[in-house]
Amino acid sequence: MSTDEVKVEEKPVFKTVSFQHTSKSANKKRAWKSLKQIVAAERALPWPEDHVHYSSINAPPSFKPAEKFSDLSGLPAPYTDPQTRLRYANKEEYATIISLPMDITAGYLALRGASSIVG
Amino acid sequence: MEILTFQDLKTTPDIIHEYTSFLKENNVPIIIDNGSYQCRVGWANSEAPILTFKNLLAKPRKERSKKETVEIPQLQIGNDIVNIEAVRFQLKTQFDRNVVTHFEAQERLFDYTFMHLGIDTENIVPHPIAITEAFLNPNSSRQLMSELLFECYSVPGVSYGIDGLYSYNYSDKPPRQDALIVSMGYHTIHIIPVLDGEIMFSNSRRMNIGGFHVVSFLHRMLQLKYPAHTNAITLSRAEELLHTICLIALDYRVELNKWMDPDYYETNTKRIQLPYTANVCTAGLTVEQQKERKKELARRLIEINARKREERLAEDEEKLQQLLEIQENDWNDYEQEKAFTEYQIKNYEDLQKNIAFLTSRIEKNKRKIAAAMNGEEIVEEPPIKQVKTNKFVFETEKALQTFVQNAKKKRQEILNRKAARKQRKQDMAKRRTAAGQERMRIISQLARKEKGNDDFGLRDEDWDIYKTISRDGADSDSETENEKLLELEEIIRTHEPSEEDDTFGPGEAHQLHIGVERYRAPELIFKPYMIGSSEAGLSEVIGYVLSLFNSDDQLRLASNIVLTGGLANLAGLQERVHSDLISIRPFKSFSAVSVLSNCTLSSWYGAKAWAHTDEFKKTLITRRDYDELGADYLRAHKSSNFYCPTPKEQLLDVDV
Repeated sequence: MSTDEVKVEEKPVFKTVSFQHTSKSANKKRAWKSLKQIVAAERALPWPEDHVHYSSINAPPSFKPAEKFSDLSGLPAPYTDPQTRLRYANKEEYATIISLPMDITAGYLALRGASSIVG
Repeated sequence: MEILTFQDLKTTPDIIHEYTSFLKENNVPIIIDNGSYQCRVGWANSEAPILTFKNLLAKPRKERSKKETVEIPQLQIGNDIVNIEAVRFQLKTQFDRNVVTHFEAQERLFDYTFMHLGIDTENIVPHPIAITEAFLNPNSSRQLMSELLFECYSVPGVSYGIDGLYSYNYSDKPPRQDALIVSMGYHTIHIIPVLDGEIMFSNSRRMNIGGFHVVSFLHRMLQLKYPAHTNAITLSRAEELLHTICLIALDYRVELNKWMDPDYYETNTKRIQLPYTANVCTAGLTVEQQKERKKELARRLIEINARKREERLAEDEEKLQQLLEIQENDWNDYEQEKAFTEYQIKNYEDLQKNIAFLTSRIEKNKRKIAAAMNGEEIVEEPPIKQVKTNKFVFETEKALQTFVQNAKKKRQEILNRKAARKQRKQDMAKRRTAAGQERMRIISQLARKEKGNDDFGLRDEDWDIYKTISRDGADSDSETENEKLLELEEIIRTHEPSEEDDTFGPGEAHQLHIGVERYRAPELIFKPYMIGSSEAGLSEVIGYVLSLFNSDDQLRLASNIVLTGGLANLAGLQERVHSDLISIRPFKSFSAVSVLSNCTLSSWYGAKAWAHTDEFKKTLITRRDYDELGADYLRAHKSSNFYCPTPKEQLLDVDV
């Protein structure tokens, strides 16, 4: 398998033929660490006290209450449909909501990031 | 009303640029702005970046089933990908958020880069590289980048810098000593305070939201709004919409209130035409065509028949002529005998009979031909009659109206029944509804086992209970009902062609109406909670970063807020940030917000300017530095991250 791949690739002249990535994991599916893993590893290291690294500059959480907007139109939404949990601004939108198929309502919830049962 | 269309710009594959001897001999640095959206590459002496491509590669999957026969699919890199939507699911990038993590992909993209720069030296890329990296790039990522550049391409030196700082430090106007740089990228937005030319790393903040999120938000929103066009609404088109018609509201609430007015909606909604094929809407015409074709076929058949008849007629006439000749001629016996055998006639009586038969047949044929001639006109009539039978003739206008009303009523009844069934089905599927609970109650009752007195099924009505608990309800949408519905709709359409149908152009069904969405999508930058993120919005984070300083420094930063990066191109962004800033700053304190000119490419130009300075040569990380000071080594300069050597992990083991 690997010999096949080498044959197929014609290496550009400017490259060093013998080069091998040192940190490529043998696991083919997860050959490279994800950013999450990298950051977790970085955080675990004994850095100096005042050191700033990638994960220490994440933006703070919002302190303002989230406004509610209609999932359909984006207009300010005073109401929530108890069945679908979708927000709506007026009765016309409600009429639309009750006729929407499940996949669309689920899509709207997922878009708002509200599809988890816990949230 | 103006209707916009999608440009659907396709990339053109890059040419391989000329590798001049000047470049080769002078070791001209290569400038790479390695962004998570696009990569821009050029020589330090190029006017503008000569390569601009998306940092993507498409690796088509090998088909496992037929390994031998299928040739290995072509790997497409950067601008080789002409139609990005065709390979959307095979795209790979070396980036995870704004950090390079997948170095094999990075290697491919470097191959692409250097190849198209035309480099042809063997086993070496003899040029120093000025490349951008993420703000506070993890050491391990830089280590791998250096490893790749030094060991695979044998570059003589590397200089790392931060895109937003390059673009600030080397923009048109000389940079001020104090600034709050807002660098708006594809995956992240950085808010970087600079005081006295020093980057305040500890007080910088990164929002994990960027152009990518805005585009996907818009994309999904439109897909949900137009489920019929899910496939036509592509990510690239959403991106195009963001670039062309999206803008940022000065005050989102006020803007939304405006949109509630139907007139405002009507005048400010953008209509965008999706490509469509016209023949979808010509179903009526095809019926006509079918009729036409049938008629044509019938006509041809008639022609063939007529020709056959004529032929037979001519044949018969000729034979008759000959037989008559035999009859009239006063031949001797021998000759008569000969003629008789030739025509297979036994005797004189037979001849007489034959003649009579032929004359009658000719007569018949002639009549038939005459009939056919008239018949041609008759044939054309039936289809017209058919159309007429569809449209009943009514004596009065009123009778027609009541008929149509009736049809409408019937249709509504069917629709109502359908809706009720659907509602029931939905209710059944959910546990909390009354219908659902009733169903569960019946099921549990059925399941209850009472010894001895289980007489279920003794009466036929017992089985009806299954009808009530089946999800479909007692009856489902039957075929006949659907047919009836179609029929009724047909009747209504023929008798009362609605005005709607007339104005409804063929392309109208394929139009996207984009109203509030124009503001709603980019508003995500200020309200990340719109996609469920708990992070604060841009203005709030700016306010937060300012609050980390004392009031003097706050003023210094607030009076020079600089926006850069691709997203900063959004119309209205500067005004919005400024207005939000005024609301959080002390009353009447000075504040200023500016957008850097050419903010998309400014970091490349900044890096290019950097490569011409003496400091560039001084802070260049050479192969020797790489070997001696560690692979993740970085020599800091004013546009770069700072370097802190990675602590040894063993210490951790001892401590903990």
